[in-house]
Amino acid sequence: MKIVVACKWAPNPQDAEVRPDGTVDWSRSKSAVSEHDPVAFEVARRLADATGGEVVALSVGPAASDTPLARKAMLSRGADRLVLVADDALAGLGSTAVAAVLSAAVRAVGDVDVVLTGPESVDNGDRQVPMTLAGHLGWPGLGAVGDVQAADGGLVVERATDRGVQVLDVTGPAVLAVAADAVVPRVPGMKDILGAAKKPTDVLALAGLDVPAPVAAAEVVGTARPAPSARGRHVITTADPAAAAAELVDALRAAGAL
Amino acid sequence: MNESTQDVLVLVDGDAAVAGPVAVARAAAAPGAAVVAVVAGARAVADAVAASGVDRVLWLGEPGDGVPVEALAGAVAEVVAGAAPRLVVATTRDGGRALAGAVAARCGAPVLTGATDVSATADAVEVRRDVHGGIAVRTERVTGGPAVVTVAPGGVAAPAAPVAVEEVAAPGPAAAVRVREERASGRASVDLGGARVVVGIGRGLKAREDLALVERLAAALGAEVACSRPLAEGHDWLTKDRYIGISGQHVAPDLYVAAGISGQVQHMVGVAGAKVVVAINSDADAPVFAQCDHGVVGDLYTVLPALAAALEA
Repeated sequence: MKIVVACKWAPNPQDAEVRPDGTVDWSRSKSAVSEHDPVAFEVARRLADATGGEVVALSVGPAASDTPLARKAMLSRGADRLVLVADDALAGLGSTAVAAVLSAAVRAVGDVDVVLTGPESVDNGDRQVPMTLAGHLGWPGLGAVGDVQAADGGLVVERATDRGVQVLDVTGPAVLAVAADAVVPRVPGMKDILGAAKKPTDVLALAGLDVPAPVAAAEVVGTARPAPSARGRHVITTADPAAAAAELVDALRAAGAL
Repeated sequence: MNESTQDVLVLVDGDAAVAGPVAVARAAAAPGAAVVAVVAGARAVADAVAASGVDRVLWLGEPGDGVPVEALAGAVAEVVAGAAPRLVVATTRDGGRALAGAVAARCGAPVLTGATDVSATADAVEVRRDVHGGIAVRTERVTGGPAVVTVAPGGVAAPAAPVAVEEVAAPGPAAAVRVREERASGRASVDLGGARVVVGIGRGLKAREDLALVERLAAALGAEVACSRPLAEGHDWLTKDRYIGISGQHVAPDLYVAAGISGQVQHMVGVAGAKVVVAINSDADAPVFAQCDHGVVGDLYTVLPALAAALEA
């Protein structure tokens, strides 16, 4: 079974600065393997080990996303090899365009049985790329996936719903976005990190990929900081819980909130 | 199909709780333009949507047993492409994202997730939304083709005079995915969108059995219980439909009580529409106190029972 893990080398917004004009300064935010991508790698590795398969890490991003550190980080979490598309034309692309490049890269890898992803990227958090990738590939896309097992000619996939758990039979290739809590990912040890340096990386030229062209364009026409809270901030610090509760109830009654 | 390109399409992902997308579509639709629901799901869902304030309902037909909404994503994309709209609105549910993704790929359209304001002019759609986990706000303008936006589902819209359900010709469901089994969690699901009071609980809660404290306060307030992301995804103490935040539910109750919630922006954007916000947290420096109307600095394990007792008195 050939398993692709689509992953992202991305900065964490918690370390970013938002300028007064609402633009984001990422210079103090170091990139890393996106927060929940290790969960997808772990699910992929277990599935590959159970089926004698291969795990191919796939990442697309600007030229700066291809560094020795990034390669090692992506290859130390259970992948057998890495495929990169690193081109400045990919900087700041929206989800549909990123998914289009990923779909072309998945086709270039060839004979892929399943693409696994995290639930979202840490920097954008749109949760949309996996499902649009499924659309580009014409494959089913499923989110909130908690478990994937190989079965005769396909996969048995468990996913969380509002009501509980749904078990699905998937035949043919699919895109599966794992839930953040699907499994506990391994923490790469020294052996994994040293081993990563020996694993192969293929860099695909963007120009050589057959990327579906976008029809509509989205242009940023305004940025802002979130509006400051206009709430009253009446904070009760009374140590006695009963007195604090009584004060709060009085305040809420006076405000007509009860 | 003869939809005017001015019409706004709403994608219904097998669940009639689409008040959020319908409201956004209605607000963005030009005078005289229709809000058209494209329903992937059972006839009962199409019937419910037909009575929720839309102008037309295009139904893809009975999907059949065990067909998940994702198997209909390609068919939905064909129906949408045939209608050639400028604006398509889907939910942020998993099914909504799958339909949005298929439409986006088929139509070469950007998907702007978690939209908070959407407007349409003759040749452009403008979308405002929180980006990068809510640290910044961005307005994007889509031109040259359709825009797909996703918004929090909201609840089931207030009943309106029903319109006819039109069954449309569409490709059948993809055979590649079928439901084998459903296992109910046994925990109650909820329509937070309809709740007047909501009590949200976060990582300040130390053990699952301590939810009883929260439920007692909720009962005293006549509230529904909600949570921040780690309690629904990670701890799995509450169902996913109770998770409030940037990629979960967005609610606008009269009163929201945030208990043991630090006030990270990813959570607070989901309660921006609440009339009154109360914060209860043991950390006086927690960001939630800068975003509340009333706060109590204290341990939720003592404050929640005291508050419930004060309300029950």
